[in-house]
Amino acid sequence: MMAACTRRTREIMSLLRISRHFPQNQRLLSTSVPRHAAASDGPPKFTPPSKPVIIDKTQKEASLRRFLSPEFIPPRQRTNPVKFSAERKDMIQRRKVLNIPEFYVGSILAVTMTDVHANKNLNRFVGICIQRSGKGLGATFILRNVVDGQGVEICFELYNPRLRKIEVLKLEKRMDDNLMYLRDALPEYSSFDFDMQPVHYEITGDVAVNPLKVKMKPKPWSKRWERPKFNIMGIRFDLCLTPEMMEHAQKWAEPWRPYDMLKEYDTSSLEEQIFKEVQENLRK
Amino acid sequence: MRLTLRALISHGRVARRIGLGPESRINMLRNILTGLVRHERIETTRARADEVRFYAEKLIDYAKKGDTNEKSMKMADFWLTEKDLIPKLFQVLAVRFENQTGGYTRMARIPNRENLDRASMAVLEYKGNPFPPLFPVKRVSELNLLNQLLKAYREEKAQMVSEKKDL
Repeated sequence: MMAACTRRTREIMSLLRISRHFPQNQRLLSTSVPRHAAASDGPPKFTPPSKPVIIDKTQKEASLRRFLSPEFIPPRQRTNPVKFSAERKDMIQRRKVLNIPEFYVGSILAVTMTDVHANKNLNRFVGICIQRSGKGLGATFILRNVVDGQGVEICFELYNPRLRKIEVLKLEKRMDDNLMYLRDALPEYSSFDFDMQPVHYEITGDVAVNPLKVKMKPKPWSKRWERPKFNIMGIRFDLCLTPEMMEHAQKWAEPWRPYDMLKEYDTSSLEEQIFKEVQENLRK
Repeated sequence: MRLTLRALISHGRVARRIGLGPESRINMLRNILTGLVRHERIETTRARADEVRFYAEKLIDYAKKGDTNEKSMKMADFWLTEKDLIPKLFQVLAVRFENQTGGYTRMARIPNRENLDRASMAVLEYKGNPFPPLFPVKRVSELNLLNQLLKAYREEKAQMVSEKKDL
């Protein structure tokens, strides 16, 4: 009863608000100009109003976030670089047809794919991106969701011609670069609604990092996530492991690893170069 | 970095397996590198010298970024086990190689070890050290009679060519 009352008062308030603005609207909708035209020759021709183009002049191109998809960066190996540059050309060609948006591990995506067995030949899957892997044309990403209580993971190839559409429903990062541990986490952390509405995100500034820490199912897990080599920040280890177990996991720590200069792979200059190349070719 | 072709085709394995494991390898290399920074010329087995060489050059690259750089300071702190060498790295070696990019070290093979295991040995040094040179310096014999005659011949020929051009 109370709720109905408040709803009604709200409606009345909104009506009042409209009536208050009415005189202004009337002035805007004045019909004097078309009437003048009618006097000259025949019925007035309908000219559709020009579409509003929203240009935010506060955002320059320089302030936009620079994002290079990770599959553009070749891995550190002895493969002939020509292979990667040739693949890059094909990747750019594909990107001119299909909009592959910026997304990260931890973002929620909706992927529409051609599927002969599905209704209308289209299959749409929504899920959280738990891994991005592969370089060049064979790059993949894995989406995970829980459907009817069953965890489902689909590995999509980013440059697959069957791929129709990639939508970013929520752009965010997690504290880790690989969320494979969601397989061993409670299902609530990887359940997403298929009718989820896209969340607005900024195209400037840094991408928000979601500081979510997940609760895990009891052991055994698919991998020993507490081991330092995974370096996982997004798990509540304090709920499932004793301090002794956490200390024991440090036995496999390799503290010298960050100081081993042989293992370093600095891609900053390479990244810069490829970014420029990709931007130039996409504009053509 | 590799010496032999067999070692070059290594399928991503760029590090030699020396010592008792990865940690032991790094600790061994640290000790050798500390010795290299202190004495500027050292004698070790060939594989170790070759392995240390990469780290010695990279350490100079880091030192060139200056001692205010956090990462380079951390690297120096890790790789130099004797901490009195850290100022030397930043103030002597980094300054010495200021105008040089890469090639800060020189390696030379020396005869196999005689006393222990006949291991192949090498000398590793930072360039520009105060010791006598490893390789014999080429003698400059400009005042030799033959060289003087050749020099005069070249000058004469150059003059003839220029005269021909003028005509």
